Amino acid sequence: MAVIEAEELRRTYRTTTGALRRRTLDVEAVRGVTFAVERGELYGLLGPNGAGKTTIIKVLVTLLLPTAGSARVLGHDVVRDVREVRRRVGFVFGGERGLYERLSGLDNLRYFAELYGVPAREQGRRIAELLDLVGLSGRERERVEGYSRGMRQRLHIARGLMHDPEVLFLDEPTLGLDPVGARELRQTVAGLTEAGKTLLLTTHYMFEADALCDRIAVLSRGRIVAEGTPRALKERVGGGRVIEVEVFGIGEERVDALRAVGGVRSVAVEERGQVQALVVRTDAGVEVTPALLARLAGTTIGRVSYREPTLEDAYVALVEE
Amino acid sequence: MAAARVFLVGGVISYRALFNWIRPLSYATTMLGIPLFQLLFFAYVGRFAGVRDDAFFVVGNAVQATAMGGLYAMTMTVANERFFGTLAPVLATPANRLALFLGRALPVVLNALAVSAVAFAAGLLLLDFSLPAARVPALAAVVLVTATATTGLGLLLGSLGLRVRDVLFASNLVYFGTLLVCGVNVPLDVLPPWLQAVGRALPLTHGVEAARRVAGGEGLGGVDGLLATEAGIGAAYALVAFALFRVFELEGRRRASLETY
Repeated sequence: MAVIEAEELRRTYRTTTGALRRRTLDVEAVRGVTFAVERGELYGLLGPNGAGKTTIIKVLVTLLLPTAGSARVLGHDVVRDVREVRRRVGFVFGGERGLYERLSGLDNLRYFAELYGVPAREQGRRIAELLDLVGLSGRERERVEGYSRGMRQRLHIARGLMHDPEVLFLDEPTLGLDPVGARELRQTVAGLTEAGKTLLLTTHYMFEADALCDRIAVLSRGRIVAEGTPRALKERVGGGRVIEVEVFGIGEERVDALRAVGGVRSVAVEERGQVQALVVRTDAGVEVTPALLARLAGTTIGRVSYREPTLEDAYVALVEE
Repeated sequence: MAAARVFLVGGVISYRALFNWIRPLSYATTMLGIPLFQLLFFAYVGRFAGVRDDAFFVVGNAVQATAMGGLYAMTMTVANERFFGTLAPVLATPANRLALFLGRALPVVLNALAVSAVAFAAGLLLLDFSLPAARVPALAAVVLVTATATTGLGLLLGSLGLRVRDVLFASNLVYFGTLLVCGVNVPLDVLPPWLQAVGRALPLTHGVEAARRVAGGEGLGGVDGLLATEAGIGAAYALVAFALFRVFELEGRRRASLETY
């Protein structure tokens, strides 16, 4: 039996605009998502902002009701068996909020130990283990308001693990961390899977997903557009090639013209300071460079380079399909 | 057992986490300073106008001082969860909701008692007010009931704070409203009937009356009806507050409003 199961999960948000003439708008954040995560697996949800990643996690940890479809965690329905799900899952949302600033890290953990019903005699040992795990030992008596972003994020993880949950949901846990802090956190996450936890992770960082996840679902506009191991996803755009062309000031019409070139699978524009980089994915064995350059005639062109596709290319290609 | 710990230990920790004026300087200036100057203000205005003696204003304002804790501290201790972004993590726990909610009231009631005691002490030291030691236990019991009832109203404001931005405006409104309609500084019978009705539906009114009678020498047995009414009003507010908290929690899951701020 899968540990996490989502079947045709949907979630619509209703928003209103205007003060006098109020208009109601329904936004479909998740549009029929189905996936399953096996025990001990680290499953990644990848997608651009607004793809529905956080909404899916909120439904799975019982903070949101699905509009349609169903989801189960460890066999418990997230709508009907709320307490059972809450006892067994932990979650970590990225960002600096969500902690009691005036309390020490230790008291933050103590409070959640009480809320999760960790027996008083076990709390001290459990908290010490967690502080050690996330590298906050020795800093636990300081107020959280003085913690760095990385320390806060590690405290979030310790809190999420307080009741030793079987399943942990991590929503962009390395967001905004410096490279060293992010690497330490990834090591912590990798250690959790070794300890037998089942993890569902969302991230924007492709290399992070590539390095950590056993399987990945790529989300775009509320739907899963691809699912598989990082290797399998890369192979979906494998056999092709990536051409990067640096240009200065290019309009959307030109980009559309490039997309129309035979053999071009996708074109993405990345802003790199003053320069725009056109990332053109092509079919294998097709030479499209002359046709591309012809369509860019009149535009200032910088460096042109070629490389093999990465997971990021696979991701961009998938969300643009 | 877990629920009892959430009530007691969790209540104290959340109070330390969420009550804005817990640091000594802000506590002294706000929680103690405001009731003290309020007491002196009304006592001297009363003397100047020659309407009532100091004892009337000391008892009224010292009992009303429980609202500093009962209203403001209680509002903050619930509503600040939203401000700190901790509401979602707390509500994602399996903790017993009644214990989680009411546990926050315990430190607030104790704080309200302390604030009231300081106000009574100020009245004894600075104004023409005396209180035989034998009457202190009965008066403390009356203040305890009143502080608990006022905290019930504070719970309601706290619950509203989970949905309404800047709920402390409402706390201000209620706090200053009680000075007028609860018999604290103006006897209830000189108010128009509709204001009397408002006053009778609020905590404090029956507690202030009971405190005046006990301070005047009457025993607890003579004010048991007033205390029962006061406790009943407080319980009713607390009950509505908890119901509202649960409604907002469920509505938050349905409408994704838990983290809207």
